[in-house]
Amino acid sequence: MTALATDELSLSFAALADPTRRAILTRLSAGEATVGQLAEPFALTQQAISKHLKVLERAGLISRSRAAQARPCRIEPAGLELAADWVDRHRQLWHERYNRLDQHLAALQADDSPT
Amino acid sequence: MTQPGEFTYCRTHHASREVLFDCMTQPEHLTRFWGPDGTTTPLDGITVDLRPGGAFETVMVSLSDGSQFTMRAVFLEVSRPERLVWTEPDVEGGMVTTITFTDLGDGRTEVVTHQTNVPFMYAGPETRKGFETSLRRFGDYIAGLTAG
Repeated sequence: MTALATDELSLSFAALADPTRRAILTRLSAGEATVGQLAEPFALTQQAISKHLKVLERAGLISRSRAAQARPCRIEPAGLELAADWVDRHRQLWHERYNRLDQHLAALQADDSPT
Repeated sequence: MTQPGEFTYCRTHHASREVLFDCMTQPEHLTRFWGPDGTTTPLDGITVDLRPGGAFETVMVSLSDGSQFTMRAVFLEVSRPERLVWTEPDVEGGMVTTITFTDLGDGRTEVVTHQTNVPFMYAGPETRKGFETSLRRFGDYIAGLTAG
């Protein structure tokens, strides 16, 4: 994994570690929304929501339109894919590790068996 | 039950709990299997100070480009042959890995790897489902563009 990808992932993971930001992503996965619309279901000010959006935007998980004054937010599939790939790789790492352990165990048992 | 932020992996091996525990904690064994495919884990890069508070470090070296990835962990619990727990303070939030060895009574051992504070696993099932929907919609959108 390159250093750049690792940094991006750190940002994604830090962004995803917060329950409010996860809820915002869940909401955005249903479609675009403005800061005002996102603030509604949470007992939070628009200012607090904006802070969360900045973290998500920096992590590449959302983007904000510059075309309209309300600057609606949308989810960024590429950023999410990067994180989802990491999950697959993580499972794969343990899978391969235990496969190799099995091979190692077989070698140990072959050594132990009487000749 | 796996909660958001958690990861569980379950395997059964044909060996005793003691052998498996030793494989997971002795450098001469770890060097044979620890790194993922396409890497090596050289013996001189493995540190195992097998006691609570002791260091557990491995350096995995890529076979293709020689790049290295170091895992730095600290043991939290060392209970041979039932349980092994370590934490990786460098990973965001302090990821904790618990390996449980259960004797199945027929020469086999079930090994359960359970991790908490796994960064991306915080995206719970409902969020991931949302991501999938979003990704599918994005795919449809791209397909629409290329068709038009």
